Parts: sequence; C-alpha cells; structure tokens
Amino acid sequence: MTKSAGASRFRGSEAANGLAMISPTATFALLLLAAPLATIFIYSFMTDGYLEIIRDFTFANYVEAWTKELYRVIMLRSLGVSLAVTAATVLLAFPVAYFVSFHVDASRKSLWLFLITIPFWTSYLIRVFLWKVILGYNGVVNSGLLGIGLIDEPLTFILYNVNSVVITLAHAYAPFAILPIFVALEKIDRSFLEAGRDLGESPFMTFLRVTLPLAMPGVISAVLIVFIPTVGDYVTPQLVGGPEGQMVANLIQLQYLKLDNYPMGSALAVTAMGIVTAFSLLFLFLNRRYLKGAK
Amino acid sequence: MMKGGWFRVYTLGYLIFLYAPIVLLPIFAFNDAAVIAFPLAGFTTKWFTQLFDEPALRGALANSLIIAVSASVLSTTLGIFASRATTRYKFPFKGGIMGMIMLPLVLPEIILAVALLVVLLGIGVPLSLFTVILGHVLVCTPFSIAILSAAFQALDGSLEEAAYDLGETPISTFRLIILPLVMPGIISSLLITFTISLDEFIMAFFLAGTEATLPVYIFSQFRFPQAVPVIMALGTLLVLSSILLLSIAEYFRRRGIAKTGGKDTGGFL
Amino acid sequence: MTFSAEKSNMIEFKDVHKYYGDYHALRGITATIKAGEFFSLLGPSGCGKTTLLRTIAGFEGISSGAVMIDGKNMEGVPANKRPTNMVFQSYAIFPHLTVAENVGFGLRKDPRSAAEKAKAVTEALEMVGLKGFGNRAAHALSGGQRQRVALARALILKPKVLLLDEPLSALDKKMREQMQVELIKLQRQVGITFILVTHDQEEALVMSDRIAVMFEGEIAQLADPETLYRRPNSRKVADFIGTMNFLPAKILSEADGKVEIDAQGFGPITLNAEQVSGAASSTGASVGFRPETLTILFDGQTAPDRESMAVVEEVVYYGDMTYYDIKLDGSDQPIRLSMRNVFGRPVLDIGTRTRVAWAPGALVVFR
Repeated sequence: MTKSAGASRFRGSEAANGLAMISPTATFALLLLAAPLATIFIYSFMTDGYLEIIRDFTFANYVEAWTKELYRVIMLRSLGVSLAVTAATVLLAFPVAYFVSFHVDASRKSLWLFLITIPFWTSYLIRVFLWKVILGYNGVVNSGLLGIGLIDEPLTFILYNVNSVVITLAHAYAPFAILPIFVALEKIDRSFLEAGRDLGESPFMTFLRVTLPLAMPGVISAVLIVFIPTVGDYVTPQLVGGPEGQMVANLIQLQYLKLDNYPMGSALAVTAMGIVTAFSLLFLFLNRRYLKGAK
Repeated sequence: MMKGGWFRVYTLGYLIFLYAPIVLLPIFAFNDAAVIAFPLAGFTTKWFTQLFDEPALRGALANSLIIAVSASVLSTTLGIFASRATTRYKFPFKGGIMGMIMLPLVLPEIILAVALLVVLLGIGVPLSLFTVILGHVLVCTPFSIAILSAAFQALDGSLEEAAYDLGETPISTFRLIILPLVMPGIISSLLITFTISLDEFIMAFFLAGTEATLPVYIFSQFRFPQAVPVIMALGTLLVLSSILLLSIAEYFRRRGIAKTGGKDTGGFL
Repeated sequence: MTFSAEKSNMIEFKDVHKYYGDYHALRGITATIKAGEFFSLLGPSGCGKTTLLRTIAGFEGISSGAVMIDGKNMEGVPANKRPTNMVFQSYAIFPHLTVAENVGFGLRKDPRSAAEKAKAVTEALEMVGLKGFGNRAAHALSGGQRQRVALARALILKPKVLLLDEPLSALDKKMREQMQVELIKLQRQVGITFILVTHDQEEALVMSDRIAVMFEGEIAQLADPETLYRRPNSRKVADFIGTMNFLPAKILSEADGKVEIDAQGFGPITLNAEQVSGAASSTGASVGFRPETLTILFDGQTAPDRESMAVVEEVVYYGDMTYYDIKLDGSDQPIRLSMRNVFGRPVLDIGTRTRVAWAPGALVVFR
C-alpha cells in the first residue's frame, strides 16, 4: 500500500466512522419518519375506496381540501389560532427571558429556568383539562369575578371557542418560547450594552438598537418552535375548543380514525404542513438579515 | 434595581399563569364533590382510594411503564450513537441527516402519528404496545440527542487522545473515559425521555390499538364527568412523580457539567 | 553540532507531506531529531508545528513520506502502539479519576503487581514534585499541578520520546518560567528525547538543544539556539526570533570568502561570507543586527571596533533596560538600540546627538 492511499484511507475512515456511528439512528428515522412522511404524501394523491386505497393519481383530495367550505374554515382557523398563540407566547415570554438573563444572578439562573420548565413536564392532558376548570361556567375566573362583583353572570366567551384554545396553547408552549430567547440573550456580550450607553443612547434605545437585534435569532427560533407544532395540536381544541374551536388536527384525526379516508386525511395533513412551511420560510426570509451573523 | 424590580413582578405574574392549572390539581383532588367547579365542598381522600381500585387504570399504568422504559432505553441508545457521531466526526450529509432525525421536535405530532399509522397498517404490523414504543422512540430521540450532544460536546477531545496515547484501544477508551464522563447525561436522557413517553398522548392514541396507555385512559375518562375527580387525584400523583424525576435528571445533568469542568448554561432544551 | 555526532537518530522525518483536502499543511518536512535531545518546533499558529508533532504521536496520518521512530517506520502504527507519550495543551487530565489513577492510567495492561504499580505511581508523582497528591480529585488541581500530573502520567510509561504540545501556554508568566527550568531539569534527569511545540521564541531559546523554526508547513531553519539568534538564515526567521533591526544595503563584491557591502548608516564594510544568508529577493539586500549589538558611547568611552554618530528619536524606559530609537547619520530609518541601566549611567533625552559603537561581526546580510 502506498502512503497516499493510506492517507486517503484515513480521511475516508473519518467519514465512514461517522456514517457508521450515525447509521442506527439515521436508519430508524429513515424507516419510521422519512418513509411514512413520503407515504402520506403519495397517499394524498390517491382515492379512498371502500376497503382499499385506489391507486390512481389524482388531485381530487387537494381540490376538496382547498374548496370545501368546512375544510377552508378550519384550515384558516388553525392558522389564525397558531399565529395568535405565537404572537402572544413570544411577546409574553420575552420579558421573562430578559429578566432571567439580565436581572438574575448567574448562580440562580438554572433554578429559574427549572421553575419555568417544570409545568411543561407535567401531564399535558391534565393541564389542558384544568384550563377548562379555570375558564368554565363555574370555573376559577368566573367564580372570582362574580365574587368581587365585577360581573353579574358568568362569562361564556372564554370557553369552548377559539379564545380558550389560544389561552391554553399559549400556556402549553411558554417554555418553548422562553428558552431560545434566553439562550440568545445569554450570548450577548454585556459590553455591547455598555458601549451602546457609552455612545449616548438611553437604556431603552440601547435595548432597541443593540439588545433586540442581537436577540433576534432566539426570537426567530422561538416563533418557529411555537408556530409549527401548534398548527397541528389535537388535544387542546378537542378538550377546550368546542365545535367552533376545532382545528386541522381534529379534522385529520376524523378522516383517519372515524371515516377511514386515508387519502383525504393525508391531503389535509400535507396541505397543513405545506402552509406551515410556506409561512415559516416567509418569516425566515423577512428576518434574513438577523440570521446572517448566525451560523 | 427598579428596572429589575418591574421585570421581577412581571415574571412572578407569568409564573402564576404557568402554575395556575397545576395548583388547582391537588385542590380538586381533595375536594369532596363529584363536579370540578367552585365553590369547594370540603376535604376528602376518597378519590385517591378509588384510584387504587381501578383495574383499567392499573392496566394502563402497566402499559405506560412498559412503553416508557422501552422507549427511554431505545431512544437514549439511538441518542448516544447520533450524539457521538455528530460531536466527534465529520461526515457527508451531516446537516441533512441530523435535520431528519431532529425533525420530530418541530413537526406536529399528529402528522407523525398518522404517517406511522398508515405505514404500519400498510405493511401489516398490528397495533400494539410495540407500535407505541416505535412512535415514542421517534418522538423521544431528538430530546435525547439534545441532552447527550451537550454532554459529548463538553468532553475535551484530547482526553480521548490521551487515553489512546497511554495505550488504550478505541473501545477501551470509550469504556474507561467517554462513558463515565457522559454517564450523567445518559441518566438525564433516560429520565427525561421516560417522562416524555409517560405523558405522550397522540402517538399512543393513534398507535395503541386496543391497549390503553395512561394518557389514553385519562383522555377517555374525561368523557365521564363522574370520573374526573379520580383523574385529578391521579394527576396530582403524576405531577409529583414528574417533578421528582426531573429534579433527579437536573441533578445528574449539573453533576455531569461539573464533572467535565464545564459551565452551566441552563435548562434541558 | 559535534555533540550529536555520537547520538543515534530518534525521530526521522523523510519528506513528510500532509494535506487536509486541498490545504497543504506539511510541505516536505525532512529532519532528524537525536536521542536524548530537547528539541523544539517553533513557529506562529497555523505553521504546522502541532500537526508535525501529532504525526509522531500517531494522531495524524501523513499524505506521503515517512515518519521513523528509533529506526522503525510508523506507517500504520496506531497511537496506542507507539513508543511516544504526550503532554497535551489542555493537559487532558481525566476529570473523573484521582491524581494517582490518572498517573497510573497507562499501566492498566502492565503485568506488574498492583503494589509495584502503586510504587511506580508514587515515584512518578515524587519526580514531578507532587508527593502526597495521589488521592486528590483531578478537577481540584491548579494549572501548574495539572501540568505536573500530565508529565508524570506520560513519563511513567518510560516512552522513548515525550511530546509536549504547548504545555506552558496555559500558565501565567511566573509559573511558566518556573516550569521551563523544571522541564529542563526533568529532561536531563530522565534522559529521553523531549519534543516541544511552542509559539514562544523565548521559551524555545531557553529550553532547547535545537530548534526547528517553521513557517507555512516548512522548516525555515533548524539550528541550536545561539546560531538561530545570531545567524538567522532569513529575514523572516530573524523577525520571528527576538527583535532585529534592518537597514537597506548593497552587495558590492563577493570573493575569497569576503563580502563587501555598502549599508545605509554604516557605509562600506567588509564581512565574512558566512554572515550573508538568504536567497536573492526582489526588494534588495538588507543588513540586520540585534538592538544589544549597538552601544551608546558616553563621554570618554571609546569604541572597541567601529563608531558612528546618531540622533535619539524616542526613549522607552523599562527599569532594567532603556530602549532607544535612533537614526544613524546617513540613514533615514530609525533603528532600535538597547542599553542596560547599570548604576550611574544616564538616560538620554530625545533629540540628543550621540556616538554609537558597533561591530561588523554582529551584522547579518540578507540578500
């Protein structure tokens, strides 16, 4: 064996070792993630028969998904809820992340983060159900408001509609928004802020001109990490949404488990993913200047 | 400190919002009324007593434990491979492969669930605990990788070289140096993925067939108002055990960072 | 280099090339390191010195050529089978093990009894001045102590070659100077070949028997410290090692081992041929000299060799030394000169005209 062959073998072995090491996990993801996603993509172009799928290529499912009134309303509602939840979650989370990053002693930061993440790790179902208790006719909010005499009869617009879905989801995804923003804020060199002040800016303008732009990568990931999964949330609209709070996941579940119409369910799933991807890419495009410096 | 003061007030308010549902849980678990509503009707422990007499619940709990143990072990194993590969080696298509593996972190679970359902039924795999385990491994692996990558990243590459230099083979180096140093990360990953699996609903709902897991059981009980107080009692116990598991996981994660001489940079994600 | 005549070759590099993709990291290294030598690889970061060291340890493969250790070609021999041990830049002390477990790490497969191994560990710790530290946790050590543990851990295996990758760069100045002396003593005591990678020219000069100065994947000059300092073979090496002044010069004639030059500020001088080095450059020749080879002459002092007039342009007072920037008459470029502040010697003011002593023998000509 010549020396140069040995050297290329060495370089080859680095890549080969890496691929060998990743292969169990990659194979698993390929078989149970990529292949299934590809399958529903293909299914979405087929037609539902009574006992089996008819394997003819058709756009009919998509035409139905985009034209049928019910589907369109639910799709738009899902998108609207998701955007509202994202906006609410990220805006409400920013000051929390800012507080923990800038006003908490370094030694106590993990404790605060731990406190913030704990609710996230407790039974999702039960948490969602408890929002029903909080927002319900005899719930905490209504009892409280009646008790202090602010209202004469219980409020009904806070449960079994879009509002309750937004509130519940904003609660569920809070840590997802706080953590990326916190990480981005932590990375900001504190001397940049001092430089901003030193160059004559007020604290607020320093925040706008220095802190916020530098925190944008964190805000952007917070937006995506909240926006993408909330569109497809099933439990929350199911439990607190009522008939006018149903979202696309409920529709998909209905098609798959109740109506056994896999092609239609797949078309709805692919459409939902397509819309989410389009919005995410548009959002990334609009914020591209903040991401240039990032890796 | 005035500025910090206002932010502190806001953050405490936010924490109240975060904890509001959880605080209600024990209140209704000990409330002597079949309806979950105010005003409260006195103290009782009967919901907890009923809880232990529920055979369907015990079955669901057993299923959930089997699934959670399997899923946490499998996803952590897959996580070890992936984290080691991504922190130690350069290889072609690294970004794409890692992107695919981490995708379940952002993808709506319902889409993963239906996709898996279609394929499993398509190739004739009957729905069972096993199919739920597969689904949970898919969901848990990205979390495991997030935790373990941090642990592997904290390893100084020269430690490994030092072990080779002192005569160890790659395998004995892994056993003597790498494994002990990432062990806290592994334990933390096991606990976190166990917790996620125990709480996961969508995958189980779609993939469990006739076998119920704990969340599926809970979900089914929500349809019967008279069953809800028992669920509140169950929820109280679940919350307590989650907090316990997470505290242990956090302890190991911090110990791991301390051990490798790194700096603590915050939470799990 | 008469001292090395009787010593055998420990490391031989034979036209070693190393590519990372398209990047040519080592460009034909050919050099020999003697047994028992304290050898340094010196150069700026990115010059390939660490890569070269790692080809000896077996952490880097080579693209072509050969690395021989004690007469054996190391092609295909993995790091764990080579008769070398390394002290890492980060020390790579295993954080989960005690000091004694770290030092004894390489003895795992040693057939000796546990008691004998424990004794070897104790001796190794004593050798590096860490007697009684065996049960300490590794992460509780200071930088200097980690360095000693790393040394003990490598030396306990009695390697033929000890490789040191910038071992002192993480220490503060005082500690670094102390460890330099200790390393020299240790090397004399154990007598094995030490190969040190450093970017600190002073450290290399202080510690080494011989130094290879590397730039951009090539060895620019390989010599003992004194030769390197007095007769650098290129302006680049001269610039990297210490401070050197340069003034433009013309080579007038070369014959019979003598070279006649005309240097700015010095005028026409005749030098020995060995004072001229370097390949012809487009920028023209220059004459180089160290700051301490010029001396300011005070009243009544006479120059032992030559003497010129100069004007003081800048004065920098360092306590033990004063640095002057002066311009020699007939030169438009300031040059640096250093004077030791011995008792009673005045410090000149800016603008002072003064006599300066110099010697043709201290000059080096770069073509």
